[in-house]
Amino acid sequence: MVNAVRLPASPAVTESAPIRGVLIGASVAFMAAFLFAPLVLIFFAAFKQGIGAYFQSFTNPDTLAAIRLTLLAAAIAVPCNLVFGVAAAWAIGKFEFFGKSFLISLIDLPFSVSPVVAGMTYVLLFGAQGLLGPWLVAHDVHIIFAVPGIVLATIFVTFPFIARELLPLIAVQGNEEEEAALTLGAGGWQTFMRVTLPNVKWALLYGVILCNARAMGEFGAVSVVSGHIRGLTDTMPLQIEVLYNDYQFVPAFAVASLLALLALATLIAKSAVEWRVGRVKGEAA
Amino acid sequence: MSIAVRNITKTFGRFTALDNVDLDIPRGRLVALLGPSGSGKTTLLRIIAGLEVADSGVVRFDGEDISDRTAGERRVGFVFQHYALFRHMTVFENIAFGLRVRPRATRPSQQRIRERVHELLDLIQLRNQAGRYPSQLSGGQRQRVALARALAVEPSVLLLDEPFGALDAKVRLELRRWLRQLHDEVGVTSVFVTHDQDEALEVADQVAVMNGGKIEQVGTPDEVYNNPATSFVYNFLGNVNLFHGRVDNGMAQIQKEDSGHLVFVRPHALEITRHPNGANHFRATTKHINVAGPLVKVEAVTEWGAVVHVEMPQERFRELALVKGEEVFITPRDLAVFAKE
Amino acid sequence: MTVTAALAKFKRRSIIPGFGLTLGFTIFYLSLIVLIPLSATFVESSKIGWHEFWRVATTPRAIASYELSFGASLIGALINFVVGTMIAWVLVRYQFAGKRILDSIVDLPFALPTAVAGIALTTLYATTGWFGKPLSDIGIHVAFTRLGVVVALTFIGLPFVVRTVQPVLEDLDKELEEAAASLGASRLQTFARVIYPAIFPAAITGFALAFARGVGEYGSVIFIAGNMPMKTEITPLLIVTKLEEYDYAGATTLAVVMLLISFVMLLTINALQRWNGRDEAPARG
Repeated sequence: MVNAVRLPASPAVTESAPIRGVLIGASVAFMAAFLFAPLVLIFFAAFKQGIGAYFQSFTNPDTLAAIRLTLLAAAIAVPCNLVFGVAAAWAIGKFEFFGKSFLISLIDLPFSVSPVVAGMTYVLLFGAQGLLGPWLVAHDVHIIFAVPGIVLATIFVTFPFIARELLPLIAVQGNEEEEAALTLGAGGWQTFMRVTLPNVKWALLYGVILCNARAMGEFGAVSVVSGHIRGLTDTMPLQIEVLYNDYQFVPAFAVASLLALLALATLIAKSAVEWRVGRVKGEAA
Repeated sequence: MSIAVRNITKTFGRFTALDNVDLDIPRGRLVALLGPSGSGKTTLLRIIAGLEVADSGVVRFDGEDISDRTAGERRVGFVFQHYALFRHMTVFENIAFGLRVRPRATRPSQQRIRERVHELLDLIQLRNQAGRYPSQLSGGQRQRVALARALAVEPSVLLLDEPFGALDAKVRLELRRWLRQLHDEVGVTSVFVTHDQDEALEVADQVAVMNGGKIEQVGTPDEVYNNPATSFVYNFLGNVNLFHGRVDNGMAQIQKEDSGHLVFVRPHALEITRHPNGANHFRATTKHINVAGPLVKVEAVTEWGAVVHVEMPQERFRELALVKGEEVFITPRDLAVFAKE
Repeated sequence: MTVTAALAKFKRRSIIPGFGLTLGFTIFYLSLIVLIPLSATFVESSKIGWHEFWRVATTPRAIASYELSFGASLIGALINFVVGTMIAWVLVRYQFAGKRILDSIVDLPFALPTAVAGIALTTLYATTGWFGKPLSDIGIHVAFTRLGVVVALTFIGLPFVVRTVQPVLEDLDKELEEAAASLGASRLQTFARVIYPAIFPAAITGFALAFARGVGEYGSVIFIAGNMPMKTEITPLLIVTKLEEYDYAGATTLAVVMLLISFVMLLTINALQRWNGRDEAPARG
């Protein structure tokens, strides 16, 4: 169906031109107002006082610390979630077992839990008054209001992404190629690396890019566990909040523009992957 | 390598795919597992390959119990119905795969691998397609690549799961003959699964007819076709006319009414005559005559209202000068009787 | 029961390797990241006692926050239900310049960090903003009002409806519409009686996803909302406030209320997705 020749629709199944125009117009207008306008505004506001002011925003030591922390959190969270995503997609996609749909729902959980609640569960567990609090204090281990807590909160909110990109693909591709590899004498790991992985590489790549964007942009959950200690436990989104509330609009939007660029890169990646997958499907048809 | 299967049982939930199955596959032979869907033939093949694990029973290669060995350890070549070619690898890389994943110690050199792959490409006559991807090949070409890939690792047993099932009729015919030739050349013990009785009878040295998880009969194509052991085998292989009957003094009698036995007669074993001739003859009226083809097919209605199909050579038809709506006599020349189950 | 027999009841026998390893790791990871912290929450809340729980959960301030969080999400999701379906229709059925770009931008709210969206929307709709100024000239105030919350949640929820309806529209058989037309139905009748019922399950699923996401939304709302208790305070913010006051009991109570509702939403969404026939499609979040 992907590459089927698109015959022009017969008049019987298309709306009249005026109606088409109205629908297209309304859609474009809505999206312009709701999606484009905020996006454009970010860059306008960032460069409002000129390019000099824009780049100066990044000389603020707190801002630099926030950028470093954000990159660190993502650098830990994304690989962890990658391993999880692959393992979960393999276990769920290739086998039939009791409790499978429960597991899938569990993986979907972060999508329906408020990020604030997510962060809060870690505070309840690891905070000074929390369940494990006394033990942690006794051993001088700091999770809440410190970097480990931020990493954990980031992991919670972003772990489904890679799994959910891979899962349907692996499930749909079936086990035949892997069975063939096994009969030819390949071991389990060899089969995974040489047969399974190449078949999902684009979905995997997109999953990683998306997971990274969401990890770097997470606000609610990280806000709760971080303690907002400037220069120490503020990530980029938190730093944006700090700057904005301090009426430092240009620096706030300057940092925001970086994340907005990351978001745009993610959208482009998605487009590229879909185009690539569509092309491969077309060849196989 | 000979294969021996003993007491194999396999259930999937409530469904019994294989029920205490025994089978012997002699070394170097090409054996067909023939049966309808659900007869268990693919399950049996996969158990031999190590792709499924039986609930009970043993599988022996050359007398040795290999039931605990993994698919890779059994050194079987398996060809899947839908080819299962590695879609992101070229034809060359697909065929080379089995050799490339060998552990360092037993892996052949790059040079040797290349030679072997080219040998096989010549065997399957796809030398020029080495750099193509599976998506760029036709169904028949893909299946040949799948076969070459399986043969590359020099398996002692070749197992094929409905290898031509996904192909056009004409390609199917070509490939089945090609498979027979290949087997004669290479000589590897081979088992293939099919639901197409023409295929099994034409290609195989031995046919195992399966039904409902059991083996109904094992024998040469001649044996299973001309001396079917059960009514199922008779019915499954070739067309058949069914009559009620009884056995009198060792002689079968066709009857109008049900009396506990079924009489099977092949269409070409029914003879049409103008006058009664021979035991078990009955009256019938011709209803439909199809002259196109090597055999003339006549459909007639018996005196008791049942429909029979008769086949005869063109000369015989011209001799008789049969027309539609004519009253004739029909005699079975060869029949088989089975008690009703 | 022997291990093998027990295993057989649990999982269908397969020769693909790695089940134990991948499932074990998946469960381990989920326990660590999700199950244990969540249980901590329920353990904490059980310490409070039912009476106190009920009291805290039903203070006027809490109830006002539920009204806002749920009410605004509902309105936003409804808007997206209508507009999202229209946008999906336009993207699938029509050809026009810039369609590819529009299609990619639909995903912006997924990829853009919530804090970035938050400050962008606030600046846009403030009385000095590009949209805020003309609107306040005619008496409509968006920033720092409940209306602002609705706007933010509409932004957040847009992709959900579009992305669940799009695939269903793409798969819709044109022949059904041609049949209806040949039987004399007008275009509107065909839409109402043939097309709409077919896409309704998808639209409702998208609606539920947008609603669930909106209820827990934090970052994109707190900047534009104004956050006045009883008026423009969303429930997640109330939770954060209580945490900052070290009122763990209060925060936990509200969190449990939100979690229970999340679970119900999750089950509903899964049921809807099954009805829609798209179990394995990635849920957007």
